[in-house]
Amino acid sequence: MTFASCRHVAGAVLGVMALLTGTVAQAGQAVEAAVPSAIGYQPRDADERGLWMEMEEAERELRNSNFVVHDPALNAYVKGVLCRTVGEMRCSAARIYIVRTPYFNASMAPNGMMQVWTGLLLRTRNEAQLAAVLGHEFGHFEKRHSLRLFREVRSKTDAMAWLSFLPYGVGLLAQLGTLGSIFSFSRDMEREADVESIAYLTSGGYTPGQASAIWAQLRDEQDATAAERKVRSRKDKNGGFFASHPNSGERMLYLAALASSATAATRTGDAEYRDAMALWWAPLIDDQIKLNDFGATEFLLGRLAGSGWTSELLYARGELYRTRGGDGDFAKAAGFYRDAIALGSTLPEARRGLGLALLRTGAIEQGRTMLKDYVKLKPDAGDRAMMAMLAGGI
Amino acid sequence: MLRVLATPLLAALVMFAAPAHAQAEKSASKSGFSLPATGPVKIVVFRPDVHVGEQSTGGLNEPNADWTAEARKQIGIALEKAQKSKSNDLVLMPELEGEQGVLLADYRSLFKTVTNAVLVHKLFPGNRLPTKKETFNWTLGSGTSQLAQISGGDYGLFIYTYDSYGSAGRKAAQLVGAMFGVGISSGVHTGYAGLVDLKTGELVWINADAQMGGDVRDAVGADKRVSQLLEDFPTRAGTAVTAAQ
Repeated sequence: MTFASCRHVAGAVLGVMALLTGTVAQAGQAVEAAVPSAIGYQPRDADERGLWMEMEEAERELRNSNFVVHDPALNAYVKGVLCRTVGEMRCSAARIYIVRTPYFNASMAPNGMMQVWTGLLLRTRNEAQLAAVLGHEFGHFEKRHSLRLFREVRSKTDAMAWLSFLPYGVGLLAQLGTLGSIFSFSRDMEREADVESIAYLTSGGYTPGQASAIWAQLRDEQDATAAERKVRSRKDKNGGFFASHPNSGERMLYLAALASSATAATRTGDAEYRDAMALWWAPLIDDQIKLNDFGATEFLLGRLAGSGWTSELLYARGELYRTRGGDGDFAKAAGFYRDAIALGSTLPEARRGLGLALLRTGAIEQGRTMLKDYVKLKPDAGDRAMMAMLAGGI
Repeated sequence: MLRVLATPLLAALVMFAAPAHAQAEKSASKSGFSLPATGPVKIVVFRPDVHVGEQSTGGLNEPNADWTAEARKQIGIALEKAQKSKSNDLVLMPELEGEQGVLLADYRSLFKTVTNAVLVHKLFPGNRLPTKKETFNWTLGSGTSQLAQISGGDYGLFIYTYDSYGSAGRKAAQLVGAMFGVGISSGVHTGYAGLVDLKTGELVWINADAQMGGDVRDAVGADKRVSQLLEDFPTRAGTAVTAAQ
């Protein structure tokens, strides 16, 4: 179960894994069974055990994947936020994997394997927003949504199999209706997880309104992407009939309504979040720049710089403009690199960027000097040979 | 999630629309490759990728933990037996932690990617590459020598099996389908095995079958499955190529 609809292949692949696993208990069970977060909880029937087995295999692979961020400090921070949100007693059931991928999503498998993508960490603005996402995913886990969806898909596709024998297109129409009901079921579970996330936020002391704010930000970002590309914003397009998640506008509104009637809590954790992410902004922005989505990246940089442009953000903006390389972009990029260096940036790459931008604006000598500085500052750089050549030889 | 859901659903629909493909079993190996005529040959088995489940009426696979565990055990025993009969030493790749664990995971993934390329672009018709028609030259790169050092093995054997046994409902649908003239397949049984020269990284042999036999949930069936997986397995230099067992 994921946080947002997956529009990317990687998302689909990870999503398949999430779909494959699940946990027990249909509605209407006589006795409320222990929740999956309970200590010692084990899957209880063949379906649930089968899904857990598949997820354990997937986790075995994920654990040693090169895409998992192993930074102990960042992992401890995210785990800490989860524990504060859902409670110390429950959070140990979840194993968090921070996955290095620039897209916005998170997912939860029924066996407790949670994935948080770095593209999401780049976009959530404070601890409360991160808590909202973690709470949503944990809600899927506690409510055994993967298992319920698995059973829903199975029973509906079984029905579709028999419907396929009906003649004159009747079967096909009925199949389409059944197919649609599966997606509708999926959207209902997402709403349920959203409701859970508000409850977790307030019990963790976090401002519940931040759950809605995530969607407002994402919609603004989608507008920024569209404006730069001169196309219509896709913020209200999520697949319609075949949408796995409710529309982001709908989520924004009902989350805000839920928050307004929830117990007031005030923690947002802006400073804590900034500190925890301090060492990660630069590499994550670099990942984002490579998506070739100028509008969204400029939007993200702008809001990260809300309280002032730091040398890291200026460097990133230089990279962004230099990468686009349109009319006047190299001159602007050179300006951003210069500002970064003036603010005390010690990044060798700021010199490299400035050197390359200057070469493109025709300031050959200045550019070469900068590239020579870069090679001196970073003698073991992977691109040393190329930069030395561009510098006219070292 | 959209594609995620749509895929199994569409797959289920397709199974009703299309008759079962009669895809042949295929193997290929590096030209002129054979195992050394004398001396021990140590083959490292990477943890086999085993999935066993039941196919629902609509074609959805229901993973089954007990069947999978049993199949994993039986396939392990059968592999050991089969390789002993070829006088090769079989060792299991140990579970690795830390940097070695990452290295192993990388090569497992790389093997899967390369194997998929071989299956799609060489072994089975549809998307064969003209440049790969005559040759069989795939490699994981010489970095696999690190795995040779860690494990002490000469060759790496990768095994993949996927079984989805047709449920009673699926079989009933197959019968009804036959009455209406609709071809519905019941059960999916696919697998492949590949051998990598760990010193050079070259893929030296591969064998894939889209319709495998042998019930992997018991010892006799697992023996049959493994013998099918290892059909045309490279022989020692100088020995005549034996037909499949």
